[in-house]
Amino acid sequence: MDKKTVSTIAYLSRLSLYGENEDKITKDLENIIKFVDQLDQVDTENIEPLASPLEKTAKTRTDNITAKNRKEVFLERSPKSNDDYFLVPRVVE
Amino acid sequence: MSVQYKSIKELKNMLNNRDISHTELIQETFLNIKNNSKLNAFITLNEEESLKKANNLDNIAGSGSLAGIPIAQKDLFCTKDLKTTCGSNMLSNFIPPYSATVIKNLENAGCISVGKTNMDEFAMGSSNETSFYGNVQNPWGENLVPGGSSGGSAAAVAAGIVPAASGTDTGGSIRQPASLCGISGLKPTYGRISRWGMIAFASSLDQAGPMARTAEDCALLLNEMCSHDEKDTTSIDEAIPDFTENLNSSIQGLKIGLVKEFDLSKLDNDVVQIFEESKKHYESLGAEFIEISLPNISLSVPTYYVVAPAECSSNLSRFDGVKFGKRCDNPKDLEELYIKTRSEGFGDEVKRRILIGSYVLSAGFYDAYYKKAQQVRRLIKNDFDSAFKNVDIIMSPTTRGAAFEAGSKGDDPIQMYLEDLFTIPANLAGLPAMSIPNGMVDNKPIGLQLIGNFLDESRLLQAAHNFQISTDWHLKTPSGSKS
Amino acid sequence: MSWETVIGLEIHVQLSTDSKLFSGGSTSFGAEPNTHVDLIDLGLPGVLPVANRGAFHKAIRFGLATNAEINQTSTFDRKNYFYPDLPKGYQITQMALPIVGKGSISIEVDGEEKIINITRAHLEEDAGKSIHDLFDGETGVDLNRAGTPLLEIVSEPEISNAKEAVAYFKAIRQIVTFLDICDGNMAQGSMRCDVNVSVKKSDDTELGTRAEIKNINSFKFIEKAINFEIDRQIRILESGDSVVQETRLYDSVKNETRSMRSKEEANDYRYFPCPDLLPVVISDNELKEIKDNLPELPDEKERRYVEESNLDSSEAKIIASSKTMANMFEGACAKTNDSKLVANWLVGDISALLNKDNIDLQESKLTADNFALLIERISDKTISGKIAKSVLEEIWETGNNVDAIIESKGLVQIQDESLLEKIAQTIIDNNPSQVEAFKGGKDKLFGFFVGQVMKETQGKANPQSVNEILKRLLS
Repeated sequence: MDKKTVSTIAYLSRLSLYGENEDKITKDLENIIKFVDQLDQVDTENIEPLASPLEKTAKTRTDNITAKNRKEVFLERSPKSNDDYFLVPRVVE
Repeated sequence: MSVQYKSIKELKNMLNNRDISHTELIQETFLNIKNNSKLNAFITLNEEESLKKANNLDNIAGSGSLAGIPIAQKDLFCTKDLKTTCGSNMLSNFIPPYSATVIKNLENAGCISVGKTNMDEFAMGSSNETSFYGNVQNPWGENLVPGGSSGGSAAAVAAGIVPAASGTDTGGSIRQPASLCGISGLKPTYGRISRWGMIAFASSLDQAGPMARTAEDCALLLNEMCSHDEKDTTSIDEAIPDFTENLNSSIQGLKIGLVKEFDLSKLDNDVVQIFEESKKHYESLGAEFIEISLPNISLSVPTYYVVAPAECSSNLSRFDGVKFGKRCDNPKDLEELYIKTRSEGFGDEVKRRILIGSYVLSAGFYDAYYKKAQQVRRLIKNDFDSAFKNVDIIMSPTTRGAAFEAGSKGDDPIQMYLEDLFTIPANLAGLPAMSIPNGMVDNKPIGLQLIGNFLDESRLLQAAHNFQISTDWHLKTPSGSKS
Repeated sequence: MSWETVIGLEIHVQLSTDSKLFSGGSTSFGAEPNTHVDLIDLGLPGVLPVANRGAFHKAIRFGLATNAEINQTSTFDRKNYFYPDLPKGYQITQMALPIVGKGSISIEVDGEEKIINITRAHLEEDAGKSIHDLFDGETGVDLNRAGTPLLEIVSEPEISNAKEAVAYFKAIRQIVTFLDICDGNMAQGSMRCDVNVSVKKSDDTELGTRAEIKNINSFKFIEKAINFEIDRQIRILESGDSVVQETRLYDSVKNETRSMRSKEEANDYRYFPCPDLLPVVISDNELKEIKDNLPELPDEKERRYVEESNLDSSEAKIIASSKTMANMFEGACAKTNDSKLVANWLVGDISALLNKDNIDLQESKLTADNFALLIERISDKTISGKIAKSVLEEIWETGNNVDAIIESKGLVQIQDESLLEKIAQTIIDNNPSQVEAFKGGKDKLFGFFVGQVMKETQGKANPQSVNEILKRLLS
């Protein structure tokens, strides 16, 4: 795992690895990836991946509206909002 | 009359017999919390509300099987109008507008949530050293870690402050701290307890469970924590038994599996010795031991360190500084808002896992890592399925050793990851597992792990209770906690 | 050198469920910002999605109507990316196992029929809305739309030009509105589309590099954007350069597409199965029930209108092609026997009024009941066809009841033959020269006499009676 890969992955994750941490984290990631590379040794041909230990099918809900307007409750928890909207720095498209 | 170290069962009797009032119990609990503040077991206390509830119970006879029982809640469960941080700076100001189902269930049963316990940040850690709110001290020794991630919960119970605590277990986060603190802790079958309101770390592995002094208390708590919840479609819609019902039945003829692939020779002699003594004890209770093979079990830790980071990298994307939680100061644009907020809000271990997760899911690596790990995960589950055709439960040490000193694992994350060697397999397969105290190494407790078949918590609890009514390891109390 | 264009469309259809795909939040359009937001839509820590079965049923209807494979077991995946109106930092979608598999739809361009194959149609959640131009230096985020169910319909790259693309989009719109799974309201964004365009030399077997134009929401813009993009790509290729694979945005003001080049190009969506949602299984019985209750589609309606209501096939086609027109036709026919007359009026005067105002029938003030009454009053000769036109115009303005209009304006037809005869005789008496000319062979003058009688009766005379009386008196 090189620095460029780490920086791409960091960008995808919206994290910055500033200064002294960068080398250490790159090394840690490398070691962890090496560690999980052990999985390579197992033959998994034709094995269906297991995404959940519950091998069941989903319960679903009927199409009903159950939510109430909780605009104030939500907006007051936001780091930045006005009376109607969550606010972020202007996005230019 | 002191309430420290009392079990739920004992406290219930005391309350019923009016040996103590509800208010006195809660007052004394808070006194114990404050006397033990150096343990740093709690992030947030809920004193006023707790006293109000206790007062109500004194005035109006409370209903509910756990009426008035103080409980410490891991700070990973959302509690309405009570700060919920998940051990992270990111949520240091987060007041949930709703409560987790398991919190509601416990409170409906009469439990009083006295506070929110310290934990590894977003439940990622095995020593409580990743908490933004500082290390938790193990009551058994000043520099000892309590284990993690439910370290605050384990320490609070071990110090006798509360008889009960909630925990969550993604790779051992209930069982490992239970082992290191000398208490009993149960991770139920995946889906037994609703995940609604539990802040997700790795959704296909996370499971809440009880932590208490005894298996019997765990059964009492589990009775109330379980429910089929329409809000969590991965919560199991099966009849919920009374988990206390079979506790006292004999375990004569119980078939206990010993995993051939668990190489105990690498463990401390003391740990092996203690495990052997527990085996003998179970034999004396009528159990028989059968060697079983779980051929892929040695791959559990690497499998886990692909699956859990992958899920966490996605689950933690919602912490972006837009709708709740922290936001960095004066971001100049959206990009900076995201990157600075997340870089400041998360600690190193969380970042490491997010990065690993993003990596194993990224284009070109998905098949080699994520898909591969999910395939191995199936093989591991298949191994357990076969084994449980021949045995009733599987037994192993919970941890490789007793509590270690803070900082002693160095800064190699893999050394810390290997702490969960024995506990991770049950999470991958979704099986119930518990840890009970079974000995002391250098005056530090250590735990025995019992893994059960799917939905077979009753049998685990029965085996654990049978052990506890004939031993006294679970009654040992540390000298480190203050009364 | 001749160039060939290859186009594929991804159409996002907002399903008309009451609640969202994974929460009990309302999907209705136009509410105050952030008032239709549930804990789940906000992506609060600890919340979990629960799939809305109604959305599956609507998606299945689409599959059945396009002869598609229905995957009775389908799964959800997460698509990870950061954007302020995507609250969880991932979108839940169906990547690996969509509810609807391969299907097809027929389109008609310049009288030629063509089959367009549909690769898949999958369920996913919509994002919220970012408002960029309301606040100084800041973008506002409204999550009302977040979590609204979308059916993303992906076509094979089999569309050859802008006209076909528009015909395909219209055909999809027709189907989803007839199936009652989407209101088809383009202005409200109920249907949006991403267009993939590539150009290659006619004899090349491999497809050219494509550009994806995002989020177009009108027929007109689809056509313009595609044509602009084809020209742009051909220009690039002819100058010897190559087309860059990228996402572009159509600017309807400048009529051009432009690159959305941003850090998005580094995007890697890291799809993986959503661990919060187990596979959704549709039983055989459930599927059968949806099939048995599938709403009638345009082709079937057209056939039925010809067979049962005796319409001309051209009339039947026009009426059956629009959901609102068909509803009006069937609604009116339920109240009156003269379906031919109903059809004539719909295709004639009503269509003309709709075109004039450039509105859809559902936006007009005409109701099926009132329309049926109008037809009744023509059939029972209370009013003439000519008067009926003025009544329709009045309805168009006010929405008033037909009988009330007739009553208040005194429009009842004069049926009294002796009265009409008296009026006709007076006109004949007063116009001797025209009578003479008529009798001398100037047949056209008959119309003059009819017109005079109508004028005298303010149009209320029964035209048939007037004809008969005049013929008799002038013979």
